[in-house]
Amino acid sequence: MIAFIGRRILQLIPVLLIASVGIWAMLYAVPGGPIGVIVGENATPESIEAARREFGLDRPVAVQYADWLINAVRGDLGASIHSREPVFDLIMDRLPATLQLAVAATIVALVLGIPVAVISAMYPGGWADRILSGWSALALGVPTFWLGILLILWFAVDLRWLPSVSQHVAIWADPAVALRNLILPAITLGVYVSGVIARFLRASLVTELNADYVRTVRSKGLTEGAIMRLHVLPNALLPFITIVGLMMASFIGGAVVTEAVFTYPGLGRLLIQAINTRDYPLIQGCIVVILVIYVLINLTVDILYAYVDPRIEYA
Amino acid sequence: MKQMHAILAALRGLLRQTGATLGLGFLGLIVLIAVFADLLPLDPLGQDFLRTLEGPSRDYWFGTDELGRDILSRVVFGARTSLVTAAGAVTIAALIGVPMGLIGGFFGGWRDAVLMRLVDVMMALPAILFAMALIAVFGRSQGAALLAVGITGIPGFARIVRAQVLTLRKRDFVVAVEAFGGTASYNMFRTILPNSWSQILVQVVVLSSVAILLEAALAFLGVGVPPPTPSWGEMLRTGKSYLHEAPYYAVLPGIVLTLTILAFDSIGRGLSRLIENPRDAALQGSLK
Repeated sequence: MIAFIGRRILQLIPVLLIASVGIWAMLYAVPGGPIGVIVGENATPESIEAARREFGLDRPVAVQYADWLINAVRGDLGASIHSREPVFDLIMDRLPATLQLAVAATIVALVLGIPVAVISAMYPGGWADRILSGWSALALGVPTFWLGILLILWFAVDLRWLPSVSQHVAIWADPAVALRNLILPAITLGVYVSGVIARFLRASLVTELNADYVRTVRSKGLTEGAIMRLHVLPNALLPFITIVGLMMASFIGGAVVTEAVFTYPGLGRLLIQAINTRDYPLIQGCIVVILVIYVLINLTVDILYAYVDPRIEYA
Repeated sequence: MKQMHAILAALRGLLRQTGATLGLGFLGLIVLIAVFADLLPLDPLGQDFLRTLEGPSRDYWFGTDELGRDILSRVVFGARTSLVTAAGAVTIAALIGVPMGLIGGFFGGWRDAVLMRLVDVMMALPAILFAMALIAVFGRSQGAALLAVGITGIPGFARIVRAQVLTLRKRDFVVAVEAFGGTASYNMFRTILPNSWSQILVQVVVLSSVAILLEAALAFLGVGVPPPTPSWGEMLRTGKSYLHEAPYYAVLPGIVLTLTILAFDSIGRGLSRLIENPRDAALQGSLK
């Protein structure tokens, strides 16, 4: 098991290294380079030279990259061009908000997605299956940002039940206020993910329902509900774990958009602000952190999968 | 000619499915409107400051925006922005992704290893982040949005074509061409590629819907096609600021955007159904 985990981590290194070169090189592909943003448009050759020296851009390219990488591994992602604050601190400031949104949206997605998948798999081709399949197509097809706008129109503008702009309040600080702020963004992001869950889990359930062991337990007189709960669902959830890894990419993308809809102060909004102000160290930092989170989740999913399914060999 | 044949066969198969037929119908309408937008009595840029943020009326069917521009005209011309971006992006993705998959799958070995690691890296970053990073570098323009969306589509094509090549590689007809001295490129482009058209077609449809969604999302985030070019995502972005004064502003463009994405989705699912169940009696003979 430990050898398996070690090998999976080793496999990640080339991917992360190539990605890090890409993210680092981003700066150098910018017309005029990052210096253009720092010194502004009316810069003299002297001020450009001074800025180049201050940011270490006069050193050999390989040295600059190695330096950047070593610092990044240590958690030093440089300083924001605009606020001059450490990028790492700015990101850590926003991370809890995004994680709280992600957890809330996952709960919404599971609560909506699993029943839809179970019901439509139990009656394949029936009217419930048709309606629910249509629903998951809708959940996947409706753009996250538009769904968010519709929810704001209905619950914030029309009914005035919930705020149209969501603040970040830690759930343990004030659960009631935190929930008020979290409900609409979590539904917006969760509905999309529930569509993904419903579609993949239904396919997985239908495959399991046709397996020989289901016929055996059915002949022993178990009810359909018990078969689903005790036998089919646990088995179908196994392949489903790998889907969670695939889902993460759209989940992160959806989170960025959802944060924009609700002006929610998370990592995604920080990234958009950084792009709009051309704050390159901050852009790099946000992308590095999101990439690392994404890779770590995928790694956890792989290990979890190997752990819960004894048929997988980690030798 | 083989492509044309595959597309026509697919079309016949699709028209036997209700969902896909509806999708084709709606999409056909949107394409027609986008192509002939100039011939319609519409003005997406004309401003009427006396009539800003009005509701739907006889003069302005979808109402007016914050500058008094006709929202219907902007939705119609937005269709053009959306479809042009999607078409361009899919072309870029296919032109780079298909050869990548062909070469990787056909030769295997180090070429495959290098190309697939590249694909892994591209897939390691969520598409929207990748696109945002590219736009951060190139600046905001329609070309940058198109390129960014296109590059995020490359891995999809590369993987699907590679998988297809791997299943065909050892088939008799491919080995026969090799035995008769056919060159690798002849074999790849003349023997294997024509047998992969149906898979590529599905990917084109799937990616088109992803591209339209991504273009709209980028515009909504304020990093897509720059104003004043009409774009559905940009309209939703602006409309969001006027939810109290003009609720229809963010609703109507959203309906058209959603229906377009759903149309592509239903066509894509119809096509995969054709490929997955060739034995299905109703669809028999419509696709190889």
